[in-house]
Amino acid sequence: MRLKLSILIAKFAALLSRKILRKSGETIAGWVLLKLSPRAISELSKGRTIICVSGTNGKTSTTKALAKIVSSLGSVTTSISGSNLDRGIAAALMAKSDFAVLEVDELHLANIIEEAKPKIVLLLNLTRDQLHRMHEVKRVADRWALSAKISPKTIFVGDIDDPFVNLVLSSASNSEKISFGGRRHLDAAVCPACGTYLKWVGNNYKCSCGLTNSGANIILQPGTAAYKNAAMANVAGKILGASESEIDERALERSVDKVKNGVKLKLRLTKNPASWSEALNSVSGSSVLLIVNSREVDGIDTSWLWDISFDQLTGKQIVVSGERALDIAYRLHVAGIEAEIATDFEAAISKFPTDSAVHVLAAYTAFYELVNS
Amino acid sequence: MSQLKIVRIHNELLGTYGDQGNAEVLAFRAKFHGITATIFDVSYNDELPTNGDIYLLGGAEDTAQLLSLEALKRSNNLNTLEMAIERGAVVLAICAGFQIMGRSFWANGVEVEGLGILDVTSKPGSKRIVGDIKTTSTVLGFELTGFENHMGHTTLGPTAEPFGKVLKGTGNGDDKFDGAVSGNIFGSYMHGPILARNPELADLLLTRATGRKYAQITDPLASKYAAWRRKVI
Repeated sequence: MRLKLSILIAKFAALLSRKILRKSGETIAGWVLLKLSPRAISELSKGRTIICVSGTNGKTSTTKALAKIVSSLGSVTTSISGSNLDRGIAAALMAKSDFAVLEVDELHLANIIEEAKPKIVLLLNLTRDQLHRMHEVKRVADRWALSAKISPKTIFVGDIDDPFVNLVLSSASNSEKISFGGRRHLDAAVCPACGTYLKWVGNNYKCSCGLTNSGANIILQPGTAAYKNAAMANVAGKILGASESEIDERALERSVDKVKNGVKLKLRLTKNPASWSEALNSVSGSSVLLIVNSREVDGIDTSWLWDISFDQLTGKQIVVSGERALDIAYRLHVAGIEAEIATDFEAAISKFPTDSAVHVLAAYTAFYELVNS
Repeated sequence: MSQLKIVRIHNELLGTYGDQGNAEVLAFRAKFHGITATIFDVSYNDELPTNGDIYLLGGAEDTAQLLSLEALKRSNNLNTLEMAIERGAVVLAICAGFQIMGRSFWANGVEVEGLGILDVTSKPGSKRIVGDIKTTSTVLGFELTGFENHMGHTTLGPTAEPFGKVLKGTGNGDDKFDGAVSGNIFGSYMHGPILARNPELADLLLTRATGRKYAQITDPLASKYAAWRRKVI
């Protein structure tokens, strides 16, 4: 009874937020709901199938893809784009449905598993990101692993080419271990399971403690991060009984095409060394705009820009902008690549000839501003 | 000297917080002085080269820090480093690397003995220290900026001098200083990387490593970047 009343008040708060503040109202609704009914996530998860998606990169797009796959089986409620903290999740659960496909922030995952008791947790990858908040990659992996250990009814699905994901899946009673034939991992010189120096041979690892990516039960072809996330969404869907679905990989790249002042833009979200490297590999053509910000969700420290190889950009016209344009400009300068610095987005695109096609690699906050503009 | 060997120690372990860029900035600044610098990467299983001019250590997670320490204590490595310091080589050690250079530190809840090259000891604080930091360096006579992200609180012994006096941020934890200096050994909690944010420090390390005084470099972008960080923090 109390929960029903809380939902009503939360919906009213959302309505006010939409009417007066012209905001989506989702976050405020979730916040109000949790204030009034702190156990709302747990209560609202009962009687339906919950699927959680987490990882450093690809959460939002994979959640969308998986929600679409699951919709063939029944009604689905899913997270509002990027709203992956407890209040966003509470808001998503306010809608009645057979299934809930939830994007979950890495640091909130353990709590959400405990409360929502998901049937499936899909773990995409774990690399360094927002270290001012995550502090250490290993710390996040340990939290996940502990959570997996105490959730025997949950099936953990993920890419064990990532040793951190493998640690978590190996701690779970039920898991679906996927390998795409191995890959390099920038942050996994140390075995996350036993703390010794992890033995890598090419793209594969095998630790004396037993942690290895050769023990997968599903082996798939190698490919881009977007392809892998699509494939993993299909594996999760299959467990629930959904048939395999064709997924538009471009949608999973977090890339959006736009035209501004006659310039064709290919916008791509980049937020940490792993996503930058992935995006840089996809850069074709000779015009590139890099936008670096340092707000909370972007990561307030920019030191990690020095861990990315920018060789891909040699010989191209590079323009940089954003709050931390100077950081990226100097980083490129030392790498032997000279960039033009623009004060804002308008000034940045005016530096390219009209009709040119520009690859835009944008920090989280910049990406959303551009997509919604 | 027209050849300079920059030894980047255990980057795969001590590279989590972007400090590997320090080597690149040193090599880049060296070029302006007509010095050809090579970056020599030493990984966990390798032995330290005896002929390095500048040795660099960066920040790391606890387990990686312990592995790096173990490797540096292995075979002849510690002796190599001490001999290099003896003949005037420069050491720049950041965060976890700074703690490794000290007498003792804590990692994964256990106290361990460091290399004892710097007269400092580190202990975990109650709360992680995260944010922008600005100091004024007594050694250099100018301001330094960076970003700190650490649990450790470091206390200086009688033979270590503080590297910088904290103007903003926390630094070592309790003494209002950041880092420590002893001869040509520099320890600091500043990421950024520190040499990217503070190009004059890179020049000072080059001067110390080669024993020569160089003319001031004109690199407007580097100066603009450093000045801007000093203004905003």
